[in-house]
Amino acid sequence: MTKLRLSGVSKAYGATLALRRGDLEVMAGEVHVLMGSNGSGKSTLCKVIAGSVRPDAGKILIDNRPVTITGPHAAHAQGIGIFYQELSLAAHRSVEENICLAALPIKSHLFVDRTLLKQRAARYIRLFEEVAGEGFSADALVGNLRPDQRQLVEIMKALASEAPIMIFDEPTSALDRAQVDRFFEILRDLKRQDRGVIFISHRMDEIKAIGDRVTIIRDGETITTLNLAETDAASVIRLMVGGSGDMPASQSSAPAVVNGKDGAAMTVRDLSGRGFRNVSFEVAKGEILGFGGLHGQGQSALLRAIFGAGSISSGEVLIGDGRFDASSPRDAIRRGCAYVSGDRGRDGVISGRPIIENVTPIHYLRDRLLIARPSKLRDKVVPALQSMHTKFQSLFHPINSLSGGNQQKVIIARWLIDRPDVLLLDDPTKGIDLSAKADLFALIRQLAAEGLGILLYSSEDAELLGNANRILVFNGGSISRELTGGDRTRYNLYQAAYEAA
Amino acid sequence: MSRILTVIRQPLVVALVLIAALLYLGQALSPGFASGGQVLRLLIVASLLGIVAAGQNVVILGGREGIDLSVGGVVSLSAIIAGNVMNGADSGIVPAILACLAAGAFFGLLNGLGVTLLRIPPLVMTLGMLGVLQGLLVVIRMGIPSGRAAPGLSSFVTQPLVGGIPGIIWLWIAIGLIMAFMLHRTVFGHRIYAIGSNEHAAYMAGVPVRVMRIALFIISGMFAAVAGLCLLGYSGSSFANVGEQYTLPSIIAVVFGGTSLAGGRGGYTGTMAGAILLVILQSILTTVNIDESGRQMVFGATLLLLMMFYGRGRAMRA
Repeated sequence: MTKLRLSGVSKAYGATLALRRGDLEVMAGEVHVLMGSNGSGKSTLCKVIAGSVRPDAGKILIDNRPVTITGPHAAHAQGIGIFYQELSLAAHRSVEENICLAALPIKSHLFVDRTLLKQRAARYIRLFEEVAGEGFSADALVGNLRPDQRQLVEIMKALASEAPIMIFDEPTSALDRAQVDRFFEILRDLKRQDRGVIFISHRMDEIKAIGDRVTIIRDGETITTLNLAETDAASVIRLMVGGSGDMPASQSSAPAVVNGKDGAAMTVRDLSGRGFRNVSFEVAKGEILGFGGLHGQGQSALLRAIFGAGSISSGEVLIGDGRFDASSPRDAIRRGCAYVSGDRGRDGVISGRPIIENVTPIHYLRDRLLIARPSKLRDKVVPALQSMHTKFQSLFHPINSLSGGNQQKVIIARWLIDRPDVLLLDDPTKGIDLSAKADLFALIRQLAAEGLGILLYSSEDAELLGNANRILVFNGGSISRELTGGDRTRYNLYQAAYEAA
Repeated sequence: MSRILTVIRQPLVVALVLIAALLYLGQALSPGFASGGQVLRLLIVASLLGIVAAGQNVVILGGREGIDLSVGGVVSLSAIIAGNVMNGADSGIVPAILACLAAGAFFGLLNGLGVTLLRIPPLVMTLGMLGVLQGLLVVIRMGIPSGRAAPGLSSFVTQPLVGGIPGIIWLWIAIGLIMAFMLHRTVFGHRIYAIGSNEHAAYMAGVPVRVMRIALFIISGMFAAVAGLCLLGYSGSSFANVGEQYTLPSIIAVVFGGTSLAGGRGGYTGTMAGAILLVILQSILTTVNIDESGRQMVFGATLLLLMMFYGRGRAMRA
C-alpha cells in the first residue's frame, strides 16, 4: 500500500532550479532511503514533504489522497514527522520537555500537565535506556548533554510525533555503534506497525542494513528507485555520479605530480582537535592539496584550527621546517598563513566599510603599520584587486555595494599584498557566480605556480577534480583515502566519501 | 529629490540646522542669547561635554554593545584629584594632569578587563563601575577637603587665550582634529571600525580584538579625566558628583552626531555638533525656567526621538 507519493515536484529559487523533477513513492512498512550528493535536491524534497518549502509544481498524495501541505503545522496534521539534521532542540529545557515540545499536554486549557508529560516522555526515553550513556536522564537540560545524546533526544522527539510517515535526515551522524543498532531496531518496529520511513544517510553500510528500497536523486531529478537487496554499493554510487563518473579528471585539470623541488610548505602530523582526529599530511610548495568528502567531515574544522581559530588537542603543524602551531589568527597571519572562508558574511566582510579598508587589514599587520595613507595604500590595493578582475567603481565605496562574487574577490585580495607561504581555502566559492569562480581558480593556480602551498576544501567535486594535484577524502573527521593521479575520478571521490568510516 | 533627502538625513547636517534654529529661538526668547560672549560661554560648556563624548564615541564605535556609563564618575573623581593635587597653586598643574590621566586610564583599564576577560556586558560593567566610583567619592569626601583650581587652569578654561578664544576651545578643536586623524588615517582607527562592523571578521583578519577593546575603554577613561580637570577649572572648586550630569548627555551627543549605537558607523565631527546642540538646548531650557528634573526628561526624550529618527533612516537604506 502506498503511504506517500510525490510526482513531478519542482522548486526554483530565483534562477536556480533546486528540484527539477522529484518523484518518490514510500510504501507502508518500508524504510525508504534517499540518496544524492550535496546539492542534488534531496533536502529540498524533504522540505517539501515537511511543509517548510512550498513546491512550484507537482502533486503530493498521502494514502492516495491528493493533499497540499501549506506549512510545517499542516504537515504535522497530515501525519508527517521529521527529524531535522540541524537539531531543533531548546537547550535550556529538559529532555522530557523537548520530547513533548511539539504537543505539550495541557490541563484546564491553560497549564502544562506535568504528570502526563513525564509519562509520555518516559515512553521514548525508555527505548534508548541502555545506550544513552552517562548523565542522560529525563530532567537533564539538553544544553548539558553530549552531541550524541542530543541527537537521541531529537530522534525521540521525532518518534513522539507518532506520525504514520517519518523522515529521518541524517539521524545517525553523531551516534555510536550501539546507539545506531538500537535505533535500527526501533525503525524495524515502525515497519511492523506499517509506517513509512524516509531515511537519509551517507553511510553505505547503514543503508544496506536498514533500507528496503533506495531512490537516487541527481541534479534535481529522480533517477530511479531500486530494491536494495538486488543491488550493490558500486552501482548505487555509479547512478549518483552519472555517466561520466569513471572518466579521470578533465584535461584542464592540474597535473598529478608537482615538482617537489622546494620541499614541504606545510606539514601536519597526527593533528586532533574538535571535529577532526589523527590527521597527517604534507603539502609541497606549489601544490594544491584538495580536501574532499561530504560536508562537515572535519575539513573546515581542521583548516580553522590550523589558522589558530579552532581547537587543537594534540599533534603538530610545521611551516617549512619550523613549528607553527598558531595560537590565534593574528599569530598565523604573521607567520605566513592565509585563510579564506566561504562564509564571507561571518568571517570575511567588514560590512559597511570602504573596499580599501577591507583589503588592507593583513597588510597593516604584516607591515606593522601605524598610519594609513590612502595614496600609498592605493598603489598596493589596486594591483591586488586587478589581479582578480574585481569590478568596483571606487575604493571608497562600501564593500556592501558589490556583488557576492566581487566581495569575495576583495576578501581574497587582502592576502595578495604580502604573500603568504600557505593558503587555506575553506569552500571559498560558496554562493558566488561562475565567472568569479573561474577568476578565482585561475588565481589559485597562479599562486601555486609561484610556490605557495595551497589547501583547498570544496563542497563541489568538480572544483577539486579540476584543480587539486592530490585529494584527501575526509570521513568522520579523519582522512579515509588519498586520491592521486588517475584515481582522481568522480566515482572514486564518491565511493570514498560514502564508505563507512 | 532623493539626493536632497540623503543630504537632509545626514546627521551632521541635521545637527547644524538644529543648532541654527535653536540659537534663533533662544534669541527670540531672551534677546542677547546669541550674542558673541554668550555663544563663547556656550562653547566652553559644550567643549567639556564634547571631550567626555570623544571617549564615549570610540567605545560606542567599537561595537558589541559598547557604552561607557562610568564617565560621569570618572569626571567627578578627576575633578577632586586635580583640586587636591594642585590646591590653588599653578605649580601643581602638571602633577594634577598626570594624576588625573592615570586615574582615568586605571578605571578605563578595569572596565576593559571586565568586558573582555570576564565577558561582562559593557552596560553592566560600566554601570557597576559608576557605582564603585560614587562610593569612592563619598569616602574621599569624608577624609579630605575638596581643593581648589589653580589660577592658571581657571584662566585656561574661562579667559581668552589666543584670538579671543579660551584655551579649552582650542583644546577641543585640537581633540577634534586628532580624533578625525585617528579614526580615518591610522591603522588603530580603521581597526576600531573593523571590530565595530564585524568583530569576527576582524579577528580572522588578525585584529587584536581584546586589546583594542581594552584600549577603547582606557581612552574613554582618559578623556573623562581631562574633562574633569577642565571642569574644575571652569567652576573653581569641585563638589560631589559634579560629573554626574555628563553620562547621559555624552551618549546623546554621540547618537546625535550620527554614530550608530550598534557600532562601526559614525565619527567624531557629528558628535561635536551634537554636544553644541545639547548645550544650547540645555541653556534654552534654563532660560525658560525649566528645572533640572525637567531638563533630564527632555534629554531622555531627545535620545528616544533620535533613536527613532536615525534607526528608521538606516532601516530604509539597508
